[in-house]
Amino acid sequence: MKSLYLIILSFFSFLLLHQCTSEKKTVYVIPDHVTPRNRQLLTEKAEKGRVLYKLHCSECHGIFTKGKDGVPNFTQTQIDNYHAAALMGIDPRNHAVAKKMSAEQVDQVITFLSLRKRD
Amino acid sequence: MKTFLVILILAATVCCFSFSLRHSTQYKQLYTSSLDAYRNDQEQLLRLIRSSDLTKPDDLEKIREKIAANRIQLKSIDFWLRYFDPISYRKENGPLPVEWETEVFEKFEMPYRRKGAGLSLAEKYMDERESLNKDSLSQLIQTSIDSLVMFKRDSVMMQFASPDHFFLANRLYLLNLAAVYTTGFECPDTSRIIPELRSLLPAVRNIYDQFATDFPSTPLSKNYLELYDRMLAFVNSQPKQFSLFDQFTLIRDYINPLFKHNQQFIRNYNVLSISFNDYALNNETSSIFDKSLFISQNTKGIFSLVDDPAALGEVKRVGKLLFYDPILSGNNKRSCASCHKPTEYFTDTSVATALQFEGGGHLPRNAPSLINSVFNHLIMLDGKHISLQGQAQDVMTKHEEMNSNEEELVKKVLTCKEYRDVFKKLLKLTPEEKNISFGHIISAITYYYADFSYYYSPFDRAMNENGGVSNEVKQGFNLFMSKAQCGTCHFVPHFNGIKPPYIGSEFEVLGVPADTAYSRLSDDKGRYDANPASETLHAFRTSTVRNIEFTKPYMHNGVFRTLDQVIDFYDAGGGAGKKLDVPNQTLASDPLKLSSPEKGALISFLHSLNENVIFEAPPSSLPVSSDKSLNARKVGGEY
Repeated sequence: MKSLYLIILSFFSFLLLHQCTSEKKTVYVIPDHVTPRNRQLLTEKAEKGRVLYKLHCSECHGIFTKGKDGVPNFTQTQIDNYHAAALMGIDPRNHAVAKKMSAEQVDQVITFLSLRKRD
Repeated sequence: MKTFLVILILAATVCCFSFSLRHSTQYKQLYTSSLDAYRNDQEQLLRLIRSSDLTKPDDLEKIREKIAANRIQLKSIDFWLRYFDPISYRKENGPLPVEWETEVFEKFEMPYRRKGAGLSLAEKYMDERESLNKDSLSQLIQTSIDSLVMFKRDSVMMQFASPDHFFLANRLYLLNLAAVYTTGFECPDTSRIIPELRSLLPAVRNIYDQFATDFPSTPLSKNYLELYDRMLAFVNSQPKQFSLFDQFTLIRDYINPLFKHNQQFIRNYNVLSISFNDYALNNETSSIFDKSLFISQNTKGIFSLVDDPAALGEVKRVGKLLFYDPILSGNNKRSCASCHKPTEYFTDTSVATALQFEGGGHLPRNAPSLINSVFNHLIMLDGKHISLQGQAQDVMTKHEEMNSNEEELVKKVLTCKEYRDVFKKLLKLTPEEKNISFGHIISAITYYYADFSYYYSPFDRAMNENGGVSNEVKQGFNLFMSKAQCGTCHFVPHFNGIKPPYIGSEFEVLGVPADTAYSRLSDDKGRYDANPASETLHAFRTSTVRNIEFTKPYMHNGVFRTLDQVIDFYDAGGGAGKKLDVPNQTLASDPLKLSSPEKGALISFLHSLNENVIFEAPPSSLPVSSDKSLNARKVGGEY
């Protein structure tokens, strides 16, 4: 009886663990004409943005569901508008986190949001 | 009787309603009616120009008078126009025919070429008797009229629905009052600067009154208005001649305290900005002479999101070691401190321009002091870089300067256990970075030296704490802002090339000579190297005059060894005044005719801008490397 209990428990733990590790890797959509070198640079930049987003943005701008990466599906227009506002200095100056970020970091987050494959 | 009562009540309601409707738009109406009046005046001026004979002195005089009158009319709306659309304002009263701009939100792009028009340029053009023609003169005014539509577009008019813009425009107005209005920056006829100020101040007082009736829940306080009225009385009691006007007292006793009140209004009323004018300004400061008045450079770089004081302390400690460490150069003999000596205000006062990397003479430009470099939007005298980190990277990898490369440099730094340990810890705080990078190294350096920019001078203390300065310093400041024309380029409060609203860096062509005999112009092309155009040839970014006593030699090429030489250069009207051929000089080539006591007073004022910087001793040793050949390196480098 006790061993059966253990088996069931370990089965569920495995299932839970699997759920965690099988989190999908973010796929980036980069147009075909981009050279391999630039493709790599863009991916690296977007990856930096992904880490920054998870740490500093997703607490408010996130969807906490199991197995998902927790980023809402911002439309390209929303991202462009935000980017324009950021360059105009309107939003980040009033934004608690973005106003602390360096220009490079804002750029990394924007790159991540615009290149990631949306569901 | 009953019906009569009903009618009476109805009538009263309608009356009240219509009255309150009219009432609630009084402030906005003042804006539109003043704008229309100005437009009308400009159209009259245009008709006058078209019907005049420009060869007749009488006709010219009439045009001049009308321009003067229109300038006064413009002052009644200046408060709004400058804030709503500073780019279009350049068509009303631009100081230069063409300006190249790279404002803070645009610095990621190529500079913009912006043409000026309007009253100042028309007035200046009238003096060019040989080339004066009716079409060009009319065009300057026609452009101004055409641009007025920009001030009535929806995005402007909708701002009248809330009080927010008022406090932000008022802040800009106060800053301009301290930095621009009294210096003649855009008023070519210096005899009219104070009369125009005398009409500007009451016009804004009227705006305040109309604002109060429309937005009673967000008032300017009684204290503010009383102080403003006292300022009005002060300005009226001062001499009309701008070189005798006491600008020191105006700023210290009136403008700066008013600014403090206005900052409180902005915070208390939760004022929100939708304008790039407010991008750089910090709502938390309460003095114009607070070093945090505006934000220009991010000194933390890759560590921007790190808040932990202990970790930042480590960044600073390792930044200092790196600053002195020649490991950053290709031959392990030069460090940042080689040219930016931390005990000499982070510059090198012994040479005109620094030595090149290995033999082969000198670099073309004087090493600038790093103190207060954080208060620039564009870095380097030619504005080539947009960030301090970009500048640091350039110096380290440039063949003539430190001649290293990113990969080798990171590798060498990490052979030192002390650096490796600290950066490993810091790497955890920048999880987006996989490895310790060049970015970590340069950000530590910029974070270290930025601290030295936050010391104050006796002049700042007088302004901030309502303190005193000697009469000579006061006279020197008043001259700096008036007759000596320094304040038209070295703007309050940093006395560098950033003017309110502090979002862009300015460049000027002075005609700096190659030698003190003025045998020829320095052949350094300056800004032209970064942005080639006829206006940018030999243009350099305006540097601060703070700590000037300790940061000789002067000018981009270090040609002048003494302040007397510098002042003589300006007194003569720059390179063109000294008979060099400088067709695009932006500095007036007329002599200033400063007397020798006046020059003495100017120098006293400049000395009052010496900041009481507390310098640190260099590190006693550098981190030990596992590569033994690197352990012979000396603190601060060898040359």
